[in-house]
Amino acid sequence: MNSLEFYLVLSATIFTIGLIGFIIRRDLIVMLMCLEIMFNAVNIAFASFSYYNGNLAGQVFILFSIGVAACEAAVGLAIVLALVRNTGINHSDEITFLRG
Amino acid sequence: MSPLLIENVFLIYFFVSLSLLSLAVVASKNIIRSAFFLLIFLLHVAALFLFLNAEFLMVIQIIVYVGGVLVLFIFAIMVMNLKEELKHRRFIKFGLVGVLTGVVFFIGLYIFLKETKESGNFLTNASVENFGKLLFSYYLLPFEILSVVLLIALVGGLAIAKKLPKEDR
Repeated sequence: MNSLEFYLVLSATIFTIGLIGFIIRRDLIVMLMCLEIMFNAVNIAFASFSYYNGNLAGQVFILFSIGVAACEAAVGLAIVLALVRNTGINHSDEITFLRG
Repeated sequence: MSPLLIENVFLIYFFVSLSLLSLAVVASKNIIRSAFFLLIFLLHVAALFLFLNAEFLMVIQIIVYVGGVLVLFIFAIMVMNLKEELKHRRFIKFGLVGVLTGVVFFIGLYIFLKETKESGNFLTNASVENFGKLLFSYYLLPFEILSVVLLIALVGGLAIAKKLPKEDR
């Protein structure tokens, strides 16, 4: 296993753990944390491609990715905060207002 | 010990610790404890950036993620003042299906990147100066768009989290 493959397998492992956590956890805040884990896995893949191809563009994309992740965390936490304040629900499987 | 052996030891350490920390974030019972596992996880990712010649991104990772996003998470947990139920169920009812989806996804991803080849030319000109030159010349327009996105997220977050009047609840 060469080094690039190592980093990509590491990134895939962390992304999978984040994906599983996002699907199976009930708490909305922990779901948002799993999103952050997935963002970080993608950032590791970007950085390793940037290093092993000798191209600096991957690092610039990591900067954009971090900025978008910060926006996503702010808006997601605002939505969760509004939900908890107005309905008292903080679990994802209790949001059933749209069920007929 | 040769440098290659030391590097391999460090990489294996990072693999094990990053996997265990992300599993701990997913599986821990207390939300605030999971936030602190996320903190250690983000610091490990920042250290991993150093292996890949990305010093500037290490600093950005620590400032933005640990100093911004994680503090936001912890503040949100404190503001919400969640009452922990006695029998707090952590996972959804059909959690096994989610695990199965993840395993199938990982197998597909692993088959895709099984025999990756390296191109041979490594990143040697990685410095903050070159990074800034690239960011402010070729990637100037995405940078400006990112600033607009940040502004919209700021205004939108304030508008969503604002307290509703009594009759609208």
